[in-house]
Amino acid sequence: MIMVNSCKKEEPDDEQENQKIILSFAFLVDGQDLQTDTMIYINEASNHYLINEIQYFISDVTLHNSNGSSYLIDEWKDIHYIDTDIPTTWTWEVFDNISAGNYNSISFTFGINEEKNQTLMFVNPPESFMFWPIYLGGGYHHMKLNGKWLDENQQISPFDFHLGIGQIYYSYPDSITGFIQNYFNVELPNSAFSLDKNQTREIQIIMNIENWFKSPNTYNHDDWGGDIMQNQEAMHLACENGHDVFTAEFIY
Amino acid sequence: MIKYRNIIFIISFGLLLFSCKKDEPTPIPYQPTPYNIEIPFGFPTNLNIPADNPMTVEGIELGRYLFYDGRMSGRTHPDSLMSCATCHIQANSFECGIDHPEYIGGFTHGITGKPTPHVMLPMINLVWNSSGYLWNGFIYSENPNAQFRNIEDLVWMGIVAEHEMNSDTNRAKEVIQNIPGYPELFKKAFGSETVTVKNMGRAIAQFIRTIISANSKFDKYLRGEVQLSQSELHGFVLFTTEEGADCFHCHGGYGNPLFTTHLYYNNGKDSLFTGPYEDPRDRYHVTGDPMDYGAYKATTLRNIELTGPYMHDGRFATLDDVIDFYSHHLLWSPYINPLMHHINNGGVQLTPNEKTDLKAFIQTLRDNEFLTNSDFGPPDKFPDGK
Repeated sequence: MIMVNSCKKEEPDDEQENQKIILSFAFLVDGQDLQTDTMIYINEASNHYLINEIQYFISDVTLHNSNGSSYLIDEWKDIHYIDTDIPTTWTWEVFDNISAGNYNSISFTFGINEEKNQTLMFVNPPESFMFWPIYLGGGYHHMKLNGKWLDENQQISPFDFHLGIGQIYYSYPDSITGFIQNYFNVELPNSAFSLDKNQTREIQIIMNIENWFKSPNTYNHDDWGGDIMQNQEAMHLACENGHDVFTAEFIY
Repeated sequence: MIKYRNIIFIISFGLLLFSCKKDEPTPIPYQPTPYNIEIPFGFPTNLNIPADNPMTVEGIELGRYLFYDGRMSGRTHPDSLMSCATCHIQANSFECGIDHPEYIGGFTHGITGKPTPHVMLPMINLVWNSSGYLWNGFIYSENPNAQFRNIEDLVWMGIVAEHEMNSDTNRAKEVIQNIPGYPELFKKAFGSETVTVKNMGRAIAQFIRTIISANSKFDKYLRGEVQLSQSELHGFVLFTTEEGADCFHCHGGYGNPLFTTHLYYNNGKDSLFTGPYEDPRDRYHVTGDPMDYGAYKATTLRNIELTGPYMHDGRFATLDDVIDFYSHHLLWSPYINPLMHHINNGGVQLTPNEKTDLKAFIQTLRDNEFLTNSDFGPPDKFPDGK
């Protein structure tokens, strides 16, 4: 009798639900797949530009259920790194089992929030290569978007559109009196979905690159130059533009 | 029943017989001792150790002997010996150094005088390099040719290369096989007394993976053990700011204490890269990506003051030359890496005082303890007592 009972415990639970989501990441410019290193794009400020590479973090991905509850996915491993040069980063197979049901929307943090963005949190590449210097606020870049543009002198110039912790200077560039985190919350538009029992759904998060330079602020590379890590005004404009950079697609 | 009794008798007799063979040498046990690398503060925890060559105390010991033994070149005449250590000198952070008596200006050549195509790369902290070896990363883990994938492969390449040992792998392993003491060390490390080039490579690679420099003044500063001078601190700020010297994106810093990304960049040394100016050993010739014309590995800056000449072709003799280059002499090309965003100003335009401070900071990356650590130095004697 004892043996029979002990064997029963190892039997699979037929009632256990197994719903999964897979997040994948894509890059578009003007609705087309990104072509790197080709000067074929024109931004809102009429700058001709190319993209060389993009590296960024998202975190705090949250599913908002129609019943009013919210679910933070993979709470203990919730910062994800995406890199145009590393295909393995283009997919995040979420570990958690997600409850079946109807979800109104998906949101996430672009970058890493203040509590989690701590120096030496990542010691291994490629994430460690995203470190943001201690002197400039520490932690990690939220994003590196590297490219070139045809400047006002018709010279091809590099730009490093890097976002991370901004600085408030008393006397630029030697006297920093405060920091601004510059991460922000993204509510993905049109991201309602349903998850059936035992279903796996792939949700593609798309970065629409042109929007970084488009609205509400027209970002002109001729105005801001090649580097902005020590220019909070430029990073602030970029962060405002970032709210509508991301969209979602559902892949069945 | 009688049959079983006979079998037991035969086995017992056999055991007795073998136990009486007192003249037979005791077999060398193959019980290699696992070796664990201690991760220094802030360093990556992921290590580039191939699954088929785990680190062992015995493998490292053998590798250290071979690394320093000039007979590994397959030659025995004192005038024609060449080992890894002929060029990789500990006191110069395992490069030959700019003051080498034979390799004038730090430009190495093979045993026959043929120049090496590029100058030496730092041979430290390589256990953390997973992005390819050599200036163009030709040695990498996914290389379709399995002979060109890791440090192990650089050993046989060094033996046969005309611009290095210019030898023959069969001769090399024969010479080592016939040196008393080595077969026993191979047995302890790899389970067989037979010397193979593969196991020579595995042993040397294990030794190289132990060569770790992580105790410079800057490391001690990070651990709160020492303070940097005002000049060094200002140099650190310059190093890690875009409006300063902007070194950190490629060469690391507090968050990347390797002081390199091990990645490849066109850093503005030249403006022409194709046709007669093409270097068949740049990154383009590994990836086929035109954006990699003129791109080479960013080297670690640890102990960099000892490892001149600088850049892949050794065009700069001193750190001052390098700092001047990044300050004022960058050259634009279509292949320039976007991280070189000061390119159209010719460089980062450091003032003389800023150059002094930047250099002072870079010199805090010198690790004197490492440079004299006997664990990495030549053995007192080789296995044959010589």
